[in-house]
Amino acid sequence: MGEQEQVNILMVDDQPGKLLTYEAILNELGENLIKARSGKEALDHLLRTDIAVVLMDVSMPELDGFELADMIRQHPRFQKIAIIFISAVHLTDLDRLNAYQRGAVDYISVPVVPELLRAKVRVFADLHRKTHQLEMLNRDLRTLSARLLATQDEERRRIARDLHDSIGPLIAALSMNNGMLAQQTKKLGTEVAEVLQQNNQLVEQLSKQTRTISHLLHPPLLDEIGLLPAIKMFAEGFAERSSVKVDVELSPEIGRLPPNVEISVFRVVQECLTNVYRHSGSKTAYIKIAPAQEKLLTVQVCDEGKGMPRTNGAPASPGSNHGVGLSGMRERLRELGGTLEIKSSDKGTTVIAAVPVNKPMVKSV
Amino acid sequence: MRTRFLIVDDSELVRKSLRTVLQANPDWEICGEAADGESAVELFKELHPNVVILDFQMPGINGIETASRMSQIAPAVPIVLFTQHASPDLERHAREAGIRSVVSKTNAFPMVGMIEALLGPTNTEWGAGGSAGSAKDLAD
Repeated sequence: MGEQEQVNILMVDDQPGKLLTYEAILNELGENLIKARSGKEALDHLLRTDIAVVLMDVSMPELDGFELADMIRQHPRFQKIAIIFISAVHLTDLDRLNAYQRGAVDYISVPVVPELLRAKVRVFADLHRKTHQLEMLNRDLRTLSARLLATQDEERRRIARDLHDSIGPLIAALSMNNGMLAQQTKKLGTEVAEVLQQNNQLVEQLSKQTRTISHLLHPPLLDEIGLLPAIKMFAEGFAERSSVKVDVELSPEIGRLPPNVEISVFRVVQECLTNVYRHSGSKTAYIKIAPAQEKLLTVQVCDEGKGMPRTNGAPASPGSNHGVGLSGMRERLRELGGTLEIKSSDKGTTVIAAVPVNKPMVKSV
Repeated sequence: MRTRFLIVDDSELVRKSLRTVLQANPDWEICGEAADGESAVELFKELHPNVVILDFQMPGINGIETASRMSQIAPAVPIVLFTQHASPDLERHAREAGIRSVVSKTNAFPMVGMIEALLGPTNTEWGAGGSAGSAKDLAD
């Protein structure tokens, strides 16, 4: 990007001569300068345009500078605007304090030194520009991360489906062939029968491992019969592989949820259990999924482990191994308009996710 | 009268293997094959099979949905779900859809014995009526 983005600077003074002077001083900054002859006119501009810096006279008829500053600060959208007062009178420390208390960033007395005024305005114009750029970048990052998570889910689903469609039938055919052979064991010698028996075991192992890989990538029951059976099946498999005892409490009235909610909740639970196994040292885990309100689902995963490492009193920051998973969970939930809360002590960790769902979850028979 | 099987699986290899296994019994024959649930339901109506061997994960409607459509048409015909994903939860859903038995594709060996038990002393007749229950219902 060659030229930098222009920001708007609003100059407010009831004397046209002064406005012309400020314009002459600030012109060289290359920003967009807007003139207002009164507090009211200034408010009109503020409502219509994104203003970076307001340069204003303290003494004006009708609405004076301080009153205008108060009105600006009351509006949430204007919190970040830099207000610079210029005054020929009201020059005591009390006046200055009064200005700063109203949220001013500077208080300049007349006569104005052009170079100083220009330098001060430049700092705040640049700050506004950078803040704006950061906000845009943040928004882009969020969009990108949401898209990455969705792509990752889709890719995992595809690989799991490929495994099911390509290796699955081969295993089934092998197993059936072995079954046919096993019916003929009397005709086979002992040695051959033993090899057949071994083959049967190999097929079973092959099948079990393929199944585990495929289920970790994407649980087949999730799409076909829903979140709760998929969580239950995953928890059973996890308990078997990790030797962590998992208790599961799922409210059946939840029923089927939109596919993006089902996959996100599943991934949150999966991530939590992975953390329990890798980091907590806990021998137990507890999963509870229940409606908190008619249209709010809560997902709770607890362990009795050593808790999460704390940095400066705050839970682990992004960048630690814990943090990457947590950021991922937060992003997933943010996408759904939900929240993630973590309570951690040396007695264990509880992760609570809240997810809004657009259908009422009512008890079904 | 020979027992007629309808085989439903999106994999040709699995259908072929099932054919080999089932046809080893001289009293059994394959009356039709389908690669997805929708066309399986059509064949079911047309061919009146005595037993259906059904895959779970298929393009379009899954095995559970296919089975419940078939059960509404002829509840007495036993349906066996033949799947890579056998689990207690899937079995519960399968039962609700009128499926008599779930067999794991990775351990297909018990299938033949299980079908024999399902068929009982007499073959299943179309229009025999009755609800999908144990294999005993079919003997009436």
